[in-house]
Amino acid sequence: MPDAPLLQLEGVRIRHEGAERATPDGVDLVVHPGEVVLLLGPSGCGKSTLALALNGLVPHAVPAELDGRVVVGGLDTREHRVGELSERVAMVFQDPDAQVVTSSLLDEVCFGPENLLLPVDEVLERAERALKLVGLWERRADDPARLSGGGRQRLAIAAALAMGSPVLVLDEPTANLDPAGIDEVYAVLRELASDRDHAIVLVEHNLDAAADLVDRVVVLDADGRLVADGPTREVLTGRAEELAALGVWLPVSTLAALRLREAGVAIDPLPITPAELGAALDAAPALPAPRDPAAATASPGIPIGPPVVSARGVSVRRGGKRGPLVVHEVDLEVPAGDFLAVVGVNGAGKSSLLQALAGVLVPAAGRIEAAGIDPATADAATRSRSIGYVFQNPEHQFVAGTVAGELEQALALQGVPEAGRATAVRPMLERFGLAEAAARHPFLLSGGQKRRLSVGTALIAGAPLLVLDEPTFGQDRERAGELVALLRELNDAGTTVIAATHDLQLVADHASRIAVMAEGRLIGIGPTAEVLAGPLIEQAGLRHPPLARATRGLANHPEWRAVTRWAQLPAPGGAA
Amino acid sequence: MSALGETTVAHGGPLRSLNALAKLAGPVPVMIALVFTRGVPLPLAFAVFAALVLLLGARLGVRWILVVVLGVPALAAVLGVSFGIWVDPATLPADGPGSQLVLARLGDWRFTGAMYLVGLATALRIAAIILLAFVSGLTTTGAELVRALVQQLRVPYRLGYTALAAMRFVPRFGHELEVIRAARRVRGVDGRRGPIAWLRGTIGLAVPLLASAIRHAERVALAMDARAFGAHDSRTERTISRWRGRDTVFVLGFWLASALLWWAVETAVA
Repeated sequence: MPDAPLLQLEGVRIRHEGAERATPDGVDLVVHPGEVVLLLGPSGCGKSTLALALNGLVPHAVPAELDGRVVVGGLDTREHRVGELSERVAMVFQDPDAQVVTSSLLDEVCFGPENLLLPVDEVLERAERALKLVGLWERRADDPARLSGGGRQRLAIAAALAMGSPVLVLDEPTANLDPAGIDEVYAVLRELASDRDHAIVLVEHNLDAAADLVDRVVVLDADGRLVADGPTREVLTGRAEELAALGVWLPVSTLAALRLREAGVAIDPLPITPAELGAALDAAPALPAPRDPAAATASPGIPIGPPVVSARGVSVRRGGKRGPLVVHEVDLEVPAGDFLAVVGVNGAGKSSLLQALAGVLVPAAGRIEAAGIDPATADAATRSRSIGYVFQNPEHQFVAGTVAGELEQALALQGVPEAGRATAVRPMLERFGLAEAAARHPFLLSGGQKRRLSVGTALIAGAPLLVLDEPTFGQDRERAGELVALLRELNDAGTTVIAATHDLQLVADHASRIAVMAEGRLIGIGPTAEVLAGPLIEQAGLRHPPLARATRGLANHPEWRAVTRWAQLPAPGGAA
Repeated sequence: MSALGETTVAHGGPLRSLNALAKLAGPVPVMIALVFTRGVPLPLAFAVFAALVLLLGARLGVRWILVVVLGVPALAAVLGVSFGIWVDPATLPADGPGSQLVLARLGDWRFTGAMYLVGLATALRIAAIILLAFVSGLTTTGAELVRALVQQLRVPYRLGYTALAAMRFVPRFGHELEVIRAARRVRGVDGRRGPIAWLRGTIGLAVPLLASAIRHAERVALAMDARAFGAHDSRTERTISRWRGRDTVFVLGFWLASALLWWAVETAVA
């Protein structure tokens, strides 16, 4: 029986301990050898939980209740332990740091086969094959900590391959990576997918990277029910409107084509990659004029206020006075009301520069003036009146036992008497949608709530300048979108926003200017449209956002080459 | 193949090739015995002995040679002063060595040579114990120790290798602690001094660190489970940890040399 299913799910419902409803809720799924399946769904639909059920971690290691049956290579997961099942299903998780258990790449890949009690020769043979496949064999003696995020995730894939299982499950493998790392991981996955030696189940929200390598898409709705299961193109393009309504993120190219269809451009079939969108646009005899690019780039407008931040020759060291220089002689002026995105690969110096601007780090050289103060010498109270700083992980900056307490602490620092604090805190709680959670411990909030609270604490003292370090890192598109909408709102109300980020489509849609960093230097800064149209993005080792990739190479419609953001597409429902 | 990716401070030398347990079994009894000694000569002799074993038995880099030859003695000299100033002169014999020698004076209080010698004795004990610990510490990797514990002492492998995986958390938490400190500075909650503020500050640091540590540990545990850790009662040992004749010779030799040295110093002093 060459085609016996590798994975068989029947009516799978999983309820986490303490949760009220089951997500996923009633999923039937069969995966055959060589299939590459993409599992999609809005946040909270249980797609990661379902992934954990595929090798028995649910219910054996994760406290959750499993109804229905999961059969892996003929074994019911309920009756067999994770160790046995791991020979049939290997898994790669989201956080590359949390998967490394040894001190060399070779040991790491050998770890699994050693646990399976394989003979030494076979362990080494598997390790060599797996490391060569992901292109890390030459570095086998290195400490995994010396690899980049993308390298560590490739190592995790090699470690999973060495288990020798016919099924590979990857749970959001690129969510914590920068664009270069995402490319590395997808290059490996593309090769694996084309070899057809493994069945692959991929949970991913970054559809723009994944869409062209999977053959089949399975979609869960917000309640965790199975709503679609079919060939990639059929599901993503045939049921695009329906999926978008469910809150599933479609590839940017598909969404853009839908918008153009509404505007009367006949695009059929719907594209799923930037290249296909580009080809479809070029094939169209006529396109409506993009919405005024000048208005689109000027709104939110290139601000012309006096500078809020001015930095001259700023250099920053990491790890104390003798640490390495990570930011070199940066000159930067940020006008009041600007929405500046700082982009660059990991290690380009974005965080260090922002921390110096906000007074978290003292620069090794140079002068900074931010919101009228020198952030390095100002005391904490003055600083938080002038600059709000939001750390990458909001938990790091929580200091109180309740949500309201977090905001009150910020006011107490300003010397606001106790009686006055509550009256100032309430409107802030309402504004950030936290009124009902006021008495809860900050650590018990949802991810999105934590993030909003951290922005609230940064702003309650009235700072006109908000600095955020990778506010969308490790979050799915929905939460990232929510946060950016909040920043947009604050910026429209006059707050100057500086944010480091990897997500270039969000940058394209919302930032008024982009600063590009590479190897600790600021290699360029300018209005969003100009930077996205120029060579800086590639020079910094980044990739253009999907929409820009589709339009940059257009041959027949030169006026569309500068289209990079949603606002430039024809208005929804509007005629051409 | 065996030492791939596992580095020690020592680049080589005979100590590198000994079993990790031998390098513990030799010095540990001496370290314990030193805790109960008094006076300067014994710890001094063993500090020199341990330094010689290290310098002859392990190929150290210049930095670590300097640590052994200059750093640890300097530490002992400084610690001697800081321990010495706490010595109550009334407990010392009035005519003991150095009691007439006044090294420093502050008002009525005098820091005499005798007080320094008492402090120095304590400091030298610490120095000797550090150097004896270096004999295995600088020449053994964590993985070698775990392998020896699992293979020779039959410590359950689930315990040994989990401990090894947990060791990798340390640098991560160091970095995380730095970020949390910076965040608390930004929030203006670290300014106050005094023991109560210190306690509150420490608790404040511990909450986010613990939350993140638990989450990290859970993830690592899932990743290890998914790779069949603990599935069988044993696991393949790619590198065999052996107890060879030279390990026995080293341990017995170390004990014999230590006993002789002890005896020689005791008789010379008496």
